[in-house]
Amino acid sequence: MKRTVLDYALKIRLPLTLFVIAVSFILTFYISRAERDGVGYSPEQPINYSHKLHAGQMNIDCKYCHVGTEKGRHALVPSANICMNCHTLARKDRPEIIKLKKYYDEGTPIPWKRIHKIPDYAYFNHSVHVNKGIQCETCHGDVKQMEVVSQVKAWTMTACLDCHRQPEKFVPYVKEIKKGPENCWACHR
Amino acid sequence: MSSSFEKNKYWKSISDYNNSPESIKAKHDEFLEGVVDNFDSSKLSGMSRRKFLAVLSSSAALATTACSDYRDKGEIIPYNKRPEEILPGEANYYASTCTACSLACGILIKTREGRPIKIDGNPDHPVNKGKICAKGQSNILSLYDPERLKEPKFGNQTISWEEADFKVIEALNNAVKYNKQIVIFTDKIFSPTLKKLLNDFSVKYPTTKVYSYSLVNDKNKRDAWFESYGSYEIPSVKWNEAEIILSLDFDFLGNEGNFVENMRLFSEKREVVKKLDVNRLYVAEGRFSATGMMADYRLRISPNQQLEFIYAIINELSDAKVISVDTAVKNLVSKYSVEKFGSKEKINNLLKDLSQHKGKSIIQAGESLSKDVHIAVNYLNELLGNNNLYDWENLDSYYQIASAKEIEELIDDMNSEKVDVLIHLNSNPVFNLPQSFKYKEALKKVKNVITLTEAENETSYSSNITLPINHILESWGDAFNKTNVYSTLQPVINPIFNTRQKESILLSWINQKYDVNDFRLYLINNFNELIYNKLKPLTDQKTFWQTTLHDGVVKFEGDSTPKKFNTSSLSKLNNTNNKESFTLHLTESYYIGDGKFANNGWLQETPHPVTKVTWDNYAAISPKLAKKLNVEINDLVEITHNNQKVILPVMVQPGMSDNIIHTELGYGRSIIGEVGKDVGVNVIPLISKDLSLIVENVSVKKVDGKYQLVSTQEHHSLDDTFVKDLHRVRKIIQEGTVEEYKKNPKFLHEEKHELVSITREHEYKGNKWAMAIDLNKCTSCSACITSCNVENNIPVVGKDQVAVGREMQWMRIDRYYSGTPEEPIVSNQPMLCQHCDNAPCENVCPVNATNHSEDGLNQMVYNRCVGTRYCSNNCPYKVRRYNFFNFRDHFEDSYYENNLTAMVHNPEVTVRSRGVMEKCTFCVQRIMEARSNAIRDGKPLNGNDIKTACQVACPTNAISFGDANDINSEVAKLRKHDLSYHVLEELNVKPNVTYIAKLRNTHSEGVI
Repeated sequence: MKRTVLDYALKIRLPLTLFVIAVSFILTFYISRAERDGVGYSPEQPINYSHKLHAGQMNIDCKYCHVGTEKGRHALVPSANICMNCHTLARKDRPEIIKLKKYYDEGTPIPWKRIHKIPDYAYFNHSVHVNKGIQCETCHGDVKQMEVVSQVKAWTMTACLDCHRQPEKFVPYVKEIKKGPENCWACHR
Repeated sequence: MSSSFEKNKYWKSISDYNNSPESIKAKHDEFLEGVVDNFDSSKLSGMSRRKFLAVLSSSAALATTACSDYRDKGEIIPYNKRPEEILPGEANYYASTCTACSLACGILIKTREGRPIKIDGNPDHPVNKGKICAKGQSNILSLYDPERLKEPKFGNQTISWEEADFKVIEALNNAVKYNKQIVIFTDKIFSPTLKKLLNDFSVKYPTTKVYSYSLVNDKNKRDAWFESYGSYEIPSVKWNEAEIILSLDFDFLGNEGNFVENMRLFSEKREVVKKLDVNRLYVAEGRFSATGMMADYRLRISPNQQLEFIYAIINELSDAKVISVDTAVKNLVSKYSVEKFGSKEKINNLLKDLSQHKGKSIIQAGESLSKDVHIAVNYLNELLGNNNLYDWENLDSYYQIASAKEIEELIDDMNSEKVDVLIHLNSNPVFNLPQSFKYKEALKKVKNVITLTEAENETSYSSNITLPINHILESWGDAFNKTNVYSTLQPVINPIFNTRQKESILLSWINQKYDVNDFRLYLINNFNELIYNKLKPLTDQKTFWQTTLHDGVVKFEGDSTPKKFNTSSLSKLNNTNNKESFTLHLTESYYIGDGKFANNGWLQETPHPVTKVTWDNYAAISPKLAKKLNVEINDLVEITHNNQKVILPVMVQPGMSDNIIHTELGYGRSIIGEVGKDVGVNVIPLISKDLSLIVENVSVKKVDGKYQLVSTQEHHSLDDTFVKDLHRVRKIIQEGTVEEYKKNPKFLHEEKHELVSITREHEYKGNKWAMAIDLNKCTSCSACITSCNVENNIPVVGKDQVAVGREMQWMRIDRYYSGTPEEPIVSNQPMLCQHCDNAPCENVCPVNATNHSEDGLNQMVYNRCVGTRYCSNNCPYKVRRYNFFNFRDHFEDSYYENNLTAMVHNPEVTVRSRGVMEKCTFCVQRIMEARSNAIRDGKPLNGNDIKTACQVACPTNAISFGDANDINSEVAKLRKHDLSYHVLEELNVKPNVTYIAKLRNTHSEGVI
């Protein structure tokens, strides 16, 4: 039987094209996954603040600056007056501290770049998690070792639900932890 | 089922009663005609689907690649110096006082991140005890009204405060210099500090005269009380001790008297679940009021016959030797008999009850009735020994109201150019004074007209200078709720616009300079003089002021000696004018007041408690009169009185007197924001110069044309095409009488049979949320609806959308009539999502956007919903609401879609957009808050810690909420009570809202 152009197109060219498309799609999907989930996002901040220095080296508790974590929904990004508790005296001569002092004196808030974000239609409550004994690192990664903060974990509904379903696997350090709620209104309302 | 119900026939409107084809169709169809817009393919764009998708995808691709920083998540802006008491995400509460009406209820304002988002009653307040009405709740929307006045104005020009002050002070000084009058025309004054301020103003500017005016007031009642007891301070009534109540057109459960307190006390004597010692309410009225709906016996007596009626009762009781009447009075009343006022049985019951419950019954007359009626009522209460139900420890504080004669004098002064400066202090006389006074014309003769107002109104348009004033949430102040209950107002937000509070403005004119703190210091000074020096507490002045401000209220011992009845007042009693004329009865609107709240969309859209009409007023007439005039609902009638004509749409209202027309005031504002403009008809022109709200000798005739009144009642009907008495047969309303219940406590459940489920039952091991609603207590006041609106970010949809059944309120109060159109009996039923265990909506959702949680909630997930509306179709209770539009954007050219109004939103609840279904959530945000608090405190979650918004608001405590699995909770007990039932029980959907059947306290065992 004579090979026709049509044969070539149907038997070789088409499957090959489809294969290339499928492979490139699958590769892109998996390779870009982290990027799409926001993992590794570390924008430049208005003040070059180091968590490694403050939380790591000096071992200041997260909750000293991020107040409200035990009381309510938000873990607050500290207001400038908390920084100034120390920096009215400490390291007044450093360029970043001079920047901070300028913000504080002018009364303008510092526009920190947002790194972790949950969609508007999900209502996350810090106090519920923190008061159960879940540590900040479990979701936010080891911030104590970060010079510039970046997102290290995927911020997806799957990530929430994985832990809610199998807390013993994700937060083994919390004793006698029960499963988290899985109903919709636990987060969406 | 008991025998009493067989006579009963429930119907919702006249057309329903007659089984008209429209009514049948409305019930048969899920959505009204027009709910879904007609689709005309020729009007569509010519672009093909393929091309559209190509453009769409290429632009999307461009958008994603072209934007440089697609990972950017914006910024977090923390405080620079965080105020210690503010923790973002957590609410703060401040106590203050409501000034929506003169009751001055204590309120608790919830603020988030410094912006007020909800007003509730102050639970520590001794009078309103944590409850406020619909107006007070919705007042928060007026704070964020985009059309508030933002700057002082001179004519149409914006000027600075300094310029305005300069002009005014100059005018004031000139007036004093040339000995011309300065007039302050104000609303009711119930603030002692404002009263003092006005005195100080008169001292500084000696030619000042103050007129306090309100179209709707209780002047007749106060004047009569003064005649009878020599005081204007009327004691509260101990409604909770009264066994027999006779209300003569007194809407004490609606909007007359201290209705918030009245409702609470009245319902304390209606706790049928606890004790059967309940009161019996007789209502004699011509219109159909909210109080009339609660009546055990209702007599149809028009307002101009009430005097005759009370004389007849006095006569009959004295003939029966129950009371001994003064001879002069006996002569006066002897010619009246009770026969013509109703069926013999009802009247006999009334007379018997009054004579058998001497000292434990109370008679009260409506505020619009004449002084004679009130004196006669006071006298009869005295004779029956009912005066021991007066609560002499709680006296309503008195505020003066200018009489019609004084107003006429003022207008004469204006016309003869004696008045040089006229200051309107938060009043709107151009709208509120009857046109026959010709106030607007007289204003032209006054050189300087100054109006202090929150938003432009009819009066400010006739003024030279218009000054914007603060909303109450931005103001300092105080009030006397009772003579011995003093409460404070404190601001919870800085003035949003360039406004000042009205007291500050007056004070700056006295001091000739303005300082924002001046009035606060003035207030504290007055507080020290008035309260601190009187009470002499052990703390210092500053601490005592701070504590009072924190609590919002201070109560002290007042003079509580009962006053003696003054028999000389009886000489003031007149003969009745016995003429049976055609009467127009005007009452204040339940929700928009005297027009003050006409620009508040939430209040305009709250359905009228009886007719369920929204966005309109109308001429309510009886079916018999409608027949006589040959009109039907939505026809137009012309009402004429004193050469003034008003055309109104007709509402055929069952149960009305045949010779009266009833209409509400407050509608028809012409100069107001976009929302309230030309809503309804202004009927004030019909009022005569005597300012009586009972207008006699009106003539009425049908005129051509039609109008569309929209009511929420015929929407969301239950399908009862095939069986006429479906509400009875399907047991949507179940009720009985006290006698019947005494005889057989299980009468509701006699015909109950076991329901078999075809599916496996789900077990609820932890909490299970449930609600119980006591129908004995619901007065249909709609405080719950408005509270839900504010809490859950319910949008205003507008009249056109209500007309096609798209109102968004998660809660509605259904009103069913039974009996005949002449003598209907009303059953009210709050209806909301029942959170059924076997919810029919859940099975039909193709995307699983509605499903069940393990704590028994029927969840609706907006971000999953694709808007098929199957759930609503399959809901037997018709409680689901669909966003046909983004209503904030759709209503009145996005009136409520702006950065200012967005501040009213509760940040804990999603603002829903177009295309999603929504419904009552049992306030899941409050459940979650209680849960997080329990985790924080390391305690188990207790259902009693959770209060839903409707429950908090309900003035009669008819709603209870809690954990049905906690056997000690109130809800769990009510669910097991003999009187509890579920609506549409036989569907076996297992609702979690339990209703407590209404028991009527009639003499017989039958309801009718």
